Amino acid sequence: MRSLLAPERSAIAPGDVAPDFAITSRTGVRHRLSDFRGSPVVVTFHGAYWDPASAEHIETYNRLIASLGGVAGARLLQIGGDGPWRDLTFTDESLALPVVDSSDQEIGERYGTRDEPAVFVIDTAGIVRWAQIGAGALANPVDLARAISVVAAPFPDVSTHDRRTRGRQDEQTHNTGWTRRDFVATTLAAAFALALRPIEARAERLAAPLARERTHTTRPVTLNVNGKGVQLDLEPRVTLLDALREYAGLTGSKKGCDHGQCGACTVHIDGRRELSCLTFAIMQEGKRIRTIEGLASGDQLHPMQQAFITHDGFQCGYCTSGQVMSAVAVLEEPWGPNDDDVREAMSGNLCRCGAYPGIIAAVQEVRRTQASAGGGTRQ
Amino acid sequence: MIDFEYVRATDLSSALRAGAAPATRFIAGGTNIVDLMKLNVERPAHLVDINGLGRADPSLSAIGELPDGGLRIGALARMRDVAWDARVRERFPVVSQALLLAASGQLRNMASIGGNLLQRTRCPYFRDTAMPCNKRDPGSGCSAIVGINRTEAILGTSSHCIATYPGDLGVALVALGATIGVRAPGAGADRALPFADLHVLPGTHPERETVLRPGELITAVVLPAIAAAKRSMYLKVRDRASYAFALASAAVALDLEGTMIRDARVALGGIATKPWRSHEAERALIGRSATQAAFRAAANAALADARPHRDNGFKVELAKRTLVRALTEVSA
Repeated sequence: MRSLLAPERSAIAPGDVAPDFAITSRTGVRHRLSDFRGSPVVVTFHGAYWDPASAEHIETYNRLIASLGGVAGARLLQIGGDGPWRDLTFTDESLALPVVDSSDQEIGERYGTRDEPAVFVIDTAGIVRWAQIGAGALANPVDLARAISVVAAPFPDVSTHDRRTRGRQDEQTHNTGWTRRDFVATTLAAAFALALRPIEARAERLAAPLARERTHTTRPVTLNVNGKGVQLDLEPRVTLLDALREYAGLTGSKKGCDHGQCGACTVHIDGRRELSCLTFAIMQEGKRIRTIEGLASGDQLHPMQQAFITHDGFQCGYCTSGQVMSAVAVLEEPWGPNDDDVREAMSGNLCRCGAYPGIIAAVQEVRRTQASAGGGTRQ
Repeated sequence: MIDFEYVRATDLSSALRAGAAPATRFIAGGTNIVDLMKLNVERPAHLVDINGLGRADPSLSAIGELPDGGLRIGALARMRDVAWDARVRERFPVVSQALLLAASGQLRNMASIGGNLLQRTRCPYFRDTAMPCNKRDPGSGCSAIVGINRTEAILGTSSHCIATYPGDLGVALVALGATIGVRAPGAGADRALPFADLHVLPGTHPERETVLRPGELITAVVLPAIAAAKRSMYLKVRDRASYAFALASAAVALDLEGTMIRDARVALGGIATKPWRSHEAERALIGRSATQAAFRAAANAALADARPHRDNGFKVELAKRTLVRALTEVSA
C-alpha cells in the first residue's frame, strides 16, 4: 500500500469546498454534485479491495438510515442491477446514481483518497464538514450518524447526543420550526453513496501483459441450491457465499470472517459441510448445495434446528445457521460419541456469545435420538 | 480481489498446458488461495480449476494399494478422505493424526492433499499488504524479524524471512520419507520426487518455496512401507485445543526390538521454515534403548541449531518437550 500513496496527495479536510463532479442517473439525467446544494450529502468511497465481500457496509449504512427514521420507504442504497459495484441505487429509484462521468480514480484523487475507504459529509452550502479517510474501514456508524445530524440540524450545537440527554429541551427546538423528523428527512432525501472502483485500473496495471485475455464480463452460472436450479450471472470471483446472499437472496448463510476461520458460512456441498466463503460459485456448478433454508421440511424444523432451540444453543444467533449446518454433517462423519469428540468436530464453528454448552447438548441429543432410531439421518 | 479468467480443466495434459501460462494458478480446494486472493496477496490473472481431473483419471483422487504394502494417494483426494481411511489409520497413524489435527472439519472436506502440501509458508506480515514482506514483495524487507515474531520459525530461517511452514501433513510425510509424483507440462509420465526435496529454505529468495516449475502439478503422494510407520504418531501443541497452527509439533515413528530402537524417524513442525526432518535426532536414537535420557538427547540434538528471535525463544524448550513426549507416548 505504501507505494500506492502519491507523495503530493492532499486530502480534503473539513472547511474545504467539496470538489464538484458529474454523475448520470440510470435514467440518463445528468447531475452535478453542486446541484444538491441545499441538502446535506454523504459521499463514500470504497477502497480498491472493496467487493461484495464488504456488502455489510451497505447493510450498516441502511441500518443507520433506518434507525434515524429515514424517509418513508427509502433506503440509502442497495446492490442491484447487472453489476455488483456499479449500480448502486435507492430502492425507490428516486436517485439511481452513480454512473460517474469522470473516472473514479480521478474523483478519488481530487478528494485525496486512493484505494482507501473514505467518507465525506457535505453540508447544505457544499462545504465538507466531516471527513474520514483511510483507517482501514468505512466510517464508524456512530460517528457518521453524529456528523449527519450536526450538518442537518439548523443549530450546529444540537447534536443527537444533546437531544437525547436534554430530553424535554427537545420541545424547544420545535419552536424553531424544525422537528427531528424534518431534519432527518432533509438529510436523507439527498444522501447518496458513490462506489469508487479504481480496482479496474489497478488490475490492469498488475496484469498488463495479459489484459486482452482478462474477462470483465459476467457468466451465466447455474447452481443447484436446495434442490432447485438457480441461474445467476456472476463474475468468476464471486464466492459461493456472496452468490447465495447477494445474488440468490438466500441470506441464511452468514458472513462472519469471510476467511474460513469462523464457520458462519457453512453449507453442504454434495452432502459434506464446506465453507461457502472460500470457494467460487462458478466452481460449484453441478454440485448439490444445501443451505440452512433447505433444512426444514415446510413448517417442520430439522431435528438439529429444534435441538438448538431446546438447548439454548445460541444467543445472538449470527453463527447459528453455520453451527446447525455443521452439526448436521458432523453426525455423518466418523467421530466418537463423547462431548470432547463433538468439541473437536465442531471446532471450525466459532460462537462469540459462548453458547457452546447448549450447542454440544443439542448435537448430543440428536446423535442419541438417531442412534436409538437405528441411525439414518435426513441428509 | 482482482478479476481473473476461470478455466475448468477436464484432463491432465490440458490442465498442465494452461497452468504453465504466466500469472496462472491452479485451484483445487481453494482454501488457501481464495483466502490470499481476498487479501490481494495472490493476484492470478487466470485460475485453472483441476477438480474435474479425477473424472478422467480416477487415480488422481483415489487411495490405492502398492505391492509392498505402501499406499499411493491421489493428489486430489481430500484431507478428510485420507484422514479417516482405514488403511492409513492402521499402517500410517502419523498421517491420519496430522490430518485430523489440521484445519477444521469444513476445511478438511474441501482441501486437497496436493494443495495442502503446497499451502504457502506464511506469517501474519505476509498476509498484511500494508507491511513490507520479502516473500510477498521481494526486496521490501522482513517485518517479522524486527516485529512481533512469537509464531515465527527458529530453524531454517534466513535474514530475509523467518516464516513458519504451517502444514502438519508435510511434517508427517517428511518423517516417513514419502515421495511425491510430479507431472510437468508435455511430459508423458510422472517423475518421482522425494518429498523432503519439494520445499526449499527461504535463503535470499523467500518468494520461492518449492522446486516446482510453472505448470507442474503434484499428482500423488506415496507412503512407503517402512517398519516404523505402524508405531508412529503426531503430537501438536498450540494456543488453542483445536483449530490452530502448531507452536510446535512432532511426527515420530519408531521400530523397536524390545526396548532397543532399530529405526527412528523424527520431524518437527511449527518451528521451521519447511517440513523439518531431524537426522540428528534420529542418529541419537537409533541403536539406543528407548529411555527418557535418549529422548532428551535426541531433542537436544534436534534443536541444537535453533536461532530464536525476540518473542519465540520459548519454542526451543517447547519443541524439545513436544518431541520427548511424542517419543515417550509412541514407545509406550
